[in-house]
Amino acid sequence: MNALVGRDAVLLGFLAALGGVVTLGFGLRRHQDHLLRQARTYAWLILGAAVLAVAMMERALLTYDFSLTYVADNGGRQVPVIFTISTLWGALAGSILLWTLILAGYTAAVVLKFRRRAVDPLVAWATLVMYSVCAFFFALMLFSGANPFTKVPGTPPANGPGPNPLLQDHPLMIIHPPMLYLGYVGFTVPFAFAVAALVTGRLGEGWLIETRRWTLLAWGFLTVGIVLGAWWSYEVLGWGGFWAWDPVENAAFLPWLCGTAFIHSVMVQERRGMLRVWNLSLVLATFCLTILGTFLTRSGVIDSVHAFTESDVGPWILTFFVIVLAVSIGLIGWRGDRLRSPGAIDSPFSREGAFLANNLLFAAFAFVVLLGTVFPLLIEAINGQQITIGGPYFNTMTEPIVLCLLFLMAIAPALPWRKASGELMRKRLLFPAWTAGLTVVACVAFGLRGGVDTLACFGLGAFAAAAAVRQLVLATRRSLADGAGPWRGIVGRANGGMIVHIGVVIIAVAFAASQAYGHRTEIPMRAGQSAKVSGHTITFLGIHTEQHSNRTSLVADVRIDGGKVYTPQISDYPADPGGGIGTPSVRSTPVDDVYLTIASPPQTPADPTVIGVTVQPLIIWLWIGGGFMAFGTLLAMLPGRRRRPVLPASAPAHEEAPVRPRRLPAGASAAVETP
Amino acid sequence: MRKWLPWAALLVMVVVALVIGTDSGGHTSQAQRVADIASEVRCPACEGQSAELSDAPAAAAVRLFITQQVRAGQTKGDIEQQLEDRYGSDILLRPPATGVAGLVWVLPVVALVVAVAALALAFRRWRGAIAGQVSDADRARVADALGREE
Amino acid sequence: MAAEGLSARDWGTADRPTRTRRRHTALYSAVAMALVLGAFVGVLATRKSALDKQARSPLLGEQAPDIIGDSITNGAPFSLMSLRGRYVLVNFFASWCEPCQEEQPQLVAFDHEPSGRTAVVGVLFSDTPGPAKAFLAANGGDWPVLADPEGQLALNYGVRGPPESYLVNPNGVVLAKFIGGVSDAGLDRLVAEAQQGGGQ
Repeated sequence: MNALVGRDAVLLGFLAALGGVVTLGFGLRRHQDHLLRQARTYAWLILGAAVLAVAMMERALLTYDFSLTYVADNGGRQVPVIFTISTLWGALAGSILLWTLILAGYTAAVVLKFRRRAVDPLVAWATLVMYSVCAFFFALMLFSGANPFTKVPGTPPANGPGPNPLLQDHPLMIIHPPMLYLGYVGFTVPFAFAVAALVTGRLGEGWLIETRRWTLLAWGFLTVGIVLGAWWSYEVLGWGGFWAWDPVENAAFLPWLCGTAFIHSVMVQERRGMLRVWNLSLVLATFCLTILGTFLTRSGVIDSVHAFTESDVGPWILTFFVIVLAVSIGLIGWRGDRLRSPGAIDSPFSREGAFLANNLLFAAFAFVVLLGTVFPLLIEAINGQQITIGGPYFNTMTEPIVLCLLFLMAIAPALPWRKASGELMRKRLLFPAWTAGLTVVACVAFGLRGGVDTLACFGLGAFAAAAAVRQLVLATRRSLADGAGPWRGIVGRANGGMIVHIGVVIIAVAFAASQAYGHRTEIPMRAGQSAKVSGHTITFLGIHTEQHSNRTSLVADVRIDGGKVYTPQISDYPADPGGGIGTPSVRSTPVDDVYLTIASPPQTPADPTVIGVTVQPLIIWLWIGGGFMAFGTLLAMLPGRRRRPVLPASAPAHEEAPVRPRRLPAGASAAVETP
Repeated sequence: MRKWLPWAALLVMVVVALVIGTDSGGHTSQAQRVADIASEVRCPACEGQSAELSDAPAAAAVRLFITQQVRAGQTKGDIEQQLEDRYGSDILLRPPATGVAGLVWVLPVVALVVAVAALALAFRRWRGAIAGQVSDADRARVADALGREE
Repeated sequence: MAAEGLSARDWGTADRPTRTRRRHTALYSAVAMALVLGAFVGVLATRKSALDKQARSPLLGEQAPDIIGDSITNGAPFSLMSLRGRYVLVNFFASWCEPCQEEQPQLVAFDHEPSGRTAVVGVLFSDTPGPAKAFLAANGGDWPVLADPEGQLALNYGVRGPPESYLVNPNGVVLAKFIGGVSDAGLDRLVAEAQQGGGQ
């Protein structure tokens, strides 16, 4: 029954999406407003269908309905309930179902938010694009190998193996994928509006303001998803690291980079009316990279520890990628030149110049990550050579970019628009520069020694953080002076952005510190023995076996610094033979992390146990920095200080003046575009 | 000129600190060298992890091999070549610097140079556009109105 | 529909008689991107999946690294050199490895060929003698098996994970590498080809 209703729900969703596309198509072609209004109902059908399908799948999982192939392959009675629920996104077909649900949610939200302007061609085109993407994902589940509702041939088994063991031993697995998908899928909305803007030729500020919060929301979720992924990798995988430049990690990072470039570059467009086509290209690129990432991780084309097992889903996603790419490039090529705004940037030493440099650096960053990820594929196709591109390449190439970005983060908030003067910059950068200098001196004075890049990272990080703090202090003072209380000083785009910058600095510094000053050793130990590692005392107390509902674990008891006992383990999941799955145990303090694993269990009772110990400083600040970024994004989405509308002074007098009201009244976008 | 003095002092202070800070105190320990080399070698049984960080037995074997070779006085290049001779070219995490594959190092730099050049051209064009809008007669009027000030 | 929202203002040419030509940067960039990305998509589409990679090895055509040690089956010392003159299959396996179990009968068949020109040598990969002996008892195999506790034998052969096998010719040169299970018929075919080619 679950399979039947589930499959019907997917079919319903597909037909509703198609119906929406057709209705909007006709409505736009024939200028029939009633069709455009009517098309709104399809969004609710799509959402209902997706919710129903997910409900059926969860029901099947929770009632151990092993007649469904997906449940038979991934479910299991021995799995704790919370992980049974998260099994929905633990394998390929289920993850597509989750993606579709989130996409349906965003589609309905867009239709709801813009319901009063459904007859506006811009909104209609955007909705059409969203329906098309929905149609694709429903079709993927119906027609390709990723159907979650196929039934097991013959009699269903009595029990299943449960999800991959790595996916059922940490609660982070429960929120990491949904957060990531909320981010990925969220970028469909600005993409849809970008396509709509290009098709209708309305490149003025209207679409931009409409989608700013959506883009920021998606970007925020993606940031959280990526940080959670790194945290999960650290806590679960047992290798002591958190970022391996794995193709799947890069697949999530690429849209993030483009999205970040867009969020910043858009400010030049708002202020000066320039870079419109470039910003559109960034939005389109972000979505294309999302689909490319989906393809790379699901098609088996690149080795990865994350990659889902391959299925014939690959060609489908590749085809969709080609369509999305063709639409994006085609629209830019066709319309881009006609819709470019006139205008000029006076001086490279200005905030506009800083944003241009920012664009450059992020584009370079994305290019390096993309090249490194796909280059092995390309080389093998060209001359058959097999190479690996791993951490060393990415670290070497991206380090200078990150250092430049830190520098930019410091000077950009201080740079004025149009043109900077030496005197102004000296005044504004005094405090941040001295903070940076004294930080470097303090580090060296305290005995820190390392590469120039590490110390430069600390110095530039302090530079950027001090600049951000200065902005926040100024904003708070101004807000107090205005009589609005101190809170206005931290909400709003600029101030929220400063908090996000502080988060980025924290992450960069923590990253550099843990890379430069981390130590890893393996020590064979017998019960009662102690060892000293990087200033910590590790006492091995003994080893014992534990039995759980879904696994048998060999547990080592280790006391750190005479305090609490930590328990690294190696677990055997009966469903997954072929070696134990290691689980680390970590003691986190604001200063450093002591990371324990069982590197090698004893072969005989008389043998020592080899304990792996990794000590890395400042790891916990990576997650705290991520928290800052999330918090800052939230603050940035709240309305800030009321701004006077600014005329782009570089444009000719008769150019439309972008008005920036906080909330557009119904029908106003048409007024803004064609006065 | 005097205005830049405190900044110059700041710069000198930072440079001195950096010079002191990067003096690594001479030699790196053997364990450090082994970890260094192992961090650029792929763990043979894993999918992209380095041999330094992986717990897999194959990675331990690689680390042992590197330790033995380092003790025997082999250079990093020699050790990496020996591993390549056994496992193939994809055992190294760092792509080769020569040949077609070496392009991966060159392309980003080239792309950056091209992009910076394009930006410079754009600035020149913008400056020309702005200058083109303003005629000399206008400039004279403005200078007149402002008096002697620049 | 396409012309809505466009007006002379957007074209920006009304006020500037000197600017008669529109720049086509977007068009050129789009065409360039289309070409590059088209080639890229072509590569992605024709790439075989990662699981299909054939067994390459830098050892092909080279002398097989020597294997010296005591066999775990009977404690007798063994050296690969002692098998010169025969086609030897060096088989890296583990008791916990399922494909190894499946290929074992094929190896037994290859080892027991009446011509006497074939032999098999087993090397443990990340395993201990206890479970290995149980594996051999259950699945067959009476050839020398060496433990490789420090993994150096596997490293010398560039083994990533079991099962991996190398076919060595009577002169000690590596003929082929197999990732995953082997079949007796496939091995026989390779041996026959090598014999015809080398006249051995």
